Amino acid sequence: MRAADGDRGWLLIALAAVASLALVGAYLAAGGSDYAPAQVQDPCEPREWRDPGSIEEIAEQFSLSALDGAACELGVTRETLARALATPRARERFLRRYDLSDAELARAIRAGLVRAVDDAERAGALSPLLAGPLRETVRRLPLDQAIPLVKDASGLIDEAQGFLGPAQDLLEEFLP
Amino acid sequence: MSEPRPRLAALAVAVGLVLADSSIVVLALPEIYRDLDTSVAGVTWVLVSFNLVLALTAVPIAHLGRRVGPGRTAAVGLAVFAGAGIACGLSTELGTLIAARCVQALGGAAAVTAVLELLPAQVGSERRAAAIWAAAGATGAALGPAVGGLLTELVSWQSIFLIQAPIAIAAGVPVLAVARHEAATGVISSELRRTGRPHLLANLALAMTSAAIAAALFLLVLLLIEGWRLTPIGAAVVVTVMPLAALLGSRIGPEVAGAKARAAAGAILVSGGLGGLALLPKAEIALTLPPQILVGVGLALVLSALTETALAGRAPQAIHGGWTIASRHAGVAIGLIALTPLFTADIAEQRRDAIASGTAVVLDSPVRPLLKLELSQRLDDRLEDERGKVPRIDPIFEPLPEDPEERDEVVGLRDELQDQLDRGATHAFSPSFGLGAAIGLLALLPIGLARRVEL
Repeated sequence: MRAADGDRGWLLIALAAVASLALVGAYLAAGGSDYAPAQVQDPCEPREWRDPGSIEEIAEQFSLSALDGAACELGVTRETLARALATPRARERFLRRYDLSDAELARAIRAGLVRAVDDAERAGALSPLLAGPLRETVRRLPLDQAIPLVKDASGLIDEAQGFLGPAQDLLEEFLP
Repeated sequence: MSEPRPRLAALAVAVGLVLADSSIVVLALPEIYRDLDTSVAGVTWVLVSFNLVLALTAVPIAHLGRRVGPGRTAAVGLAVFAGAGIACGLSTELGTLIAARCVQALGGAAAVTAVLELLPAQVGSERRAAAIWAAAGATGAALGPAVGGLLTELVSWQSIFLIQAPIAIAAGVPVLAVARHEAATGVISSELRRTGRPHLLANLALAMTSAAIAAALFLLVLLLIEGWRLTPIGAAVVVTVMPLAALLGSRIGPEVAGAKARAAAGAILVSGGLGGLALLPKAEIALTLPPQILVGVGLALVLSALTETALAGRAPQAIHGGWTIASRHAGVAIGLIALTPLFTADIAEQRRDAIASGTAVVLDSPVRPLLKLELSQRLDDRLEDERGKVPRIDPIFEPLPEDPEERDEVVGLRDELQDQLDRGATHAFSPSFGLGAAIGLLALLPIGLARRVEL
């Protein structure tokens, strides 16, 4: 009788172990331990440009490169800077949190814009003829004009086109 | 004097009511957290304080109750429990609520241990009394979260406490007859026998498994409400699987296997269930059901087997019952105290990851750059508004663009982002569930070492 009790006891323990291992094994097989947050890239690392097909695509990648460059200067992630530039309130919060002045932010954003021009030129998205004046333009931009350019770089392209004036037709030839 | 049957029912209700209180506020914690504008760590003390005071006072009050008389102790205990319940319901600050919870636990400890002394006179044997007492307590603890969730959603979190007062008073009325008899005659219904030593290993294993079970219940509720955005009533329905499975597990009694085997099997199942919760592959309610079934069956097996072992052949029952109460609730309190810093740190880390990876997903998406920055900011604001709760992000994508191509891109981004946030929230609870599973497995040590566990 005692032996039978013992056998039933071991059977119960074995059933519990099998049920537990089966559940854990099934969840592991279904990817239960695979989760990893989306990768946040180091903004100081060069970002690969996709083959741009239009001014809009150049402008988009230009914005991301500019964010990378500015974020690298400030020692923050591109994602943090993107949120900081979205509204004046977010910008003030960001400056307070990282103990930065408007001038330091402006310097970083200008550096970011210069890096974007460099990246675009390196990727063949902008000709050296257009890149040179663009670089000079962004180096002199005040903060309140530099931030909108990071958000929508197509404006920068237009500005450069206006800057070149009569060379407009020539400029279009240099765009891929 | 009341008739025995109503008095037996009243005693069982008293035990169920008090022990339900150790878990009844679990589903209300997120509401209390927001209503009283406190922190996750702070609100955990609404639960911890009750369990801690119950653990610390159960044995001393059981000794006191044997001197004063169980009738009077139970009557006073239920009155204190009811009064403190009203104070909890009227609290507008966390400090007052926690203080009232401590007083409530004091009254509860008096009532529960005294009832174990009163029950044998109603049912004829100590063994049957212990079984009814344990069953009433387990039923209360199992039903607590669901009842608490229903009341929180249908009425308010305050109603959870206010509704207990009339029930406690109603349960106390039949006990008053015994108290009056004790006062009139000076005779108390239990003899003052010498107290034997408590069963150390069984009580230690009870504490460890209770810590693991508390982790399962508390963390699962937080995951469902804070992580997966279920309402308290929805979460109550989901976690009801655990007590239902416990009912199933309670059918595996001494006739199936000895106490040691049932305790070991129960601890393994609780750990297996917690392991499953630590490894949830997706944020889907259905995936929580198999782990809950394992935890539910396991808790019924391990708690009943260890309580039987701790009480078997030991006198007086009230004192040893007090030890089991102390062990179980100390386990719950220690489990919550140990897990709180771990999961609050994990939640904070998950929040940082969610913001960073959510923004990365938005920035890397094919939508217009200007829209990307706008969406990044709206996501940040939404996470800020929700104070750590993972939000439904549909509203930040409204209105959807009219251009079909851009609309498809935005919808794809929205779904990817929601999946990223949901998986992140689920993952944030994994280490805490894993720690709970490890504690449950460690309980196998005292269970294995216990010599005289067979009844």
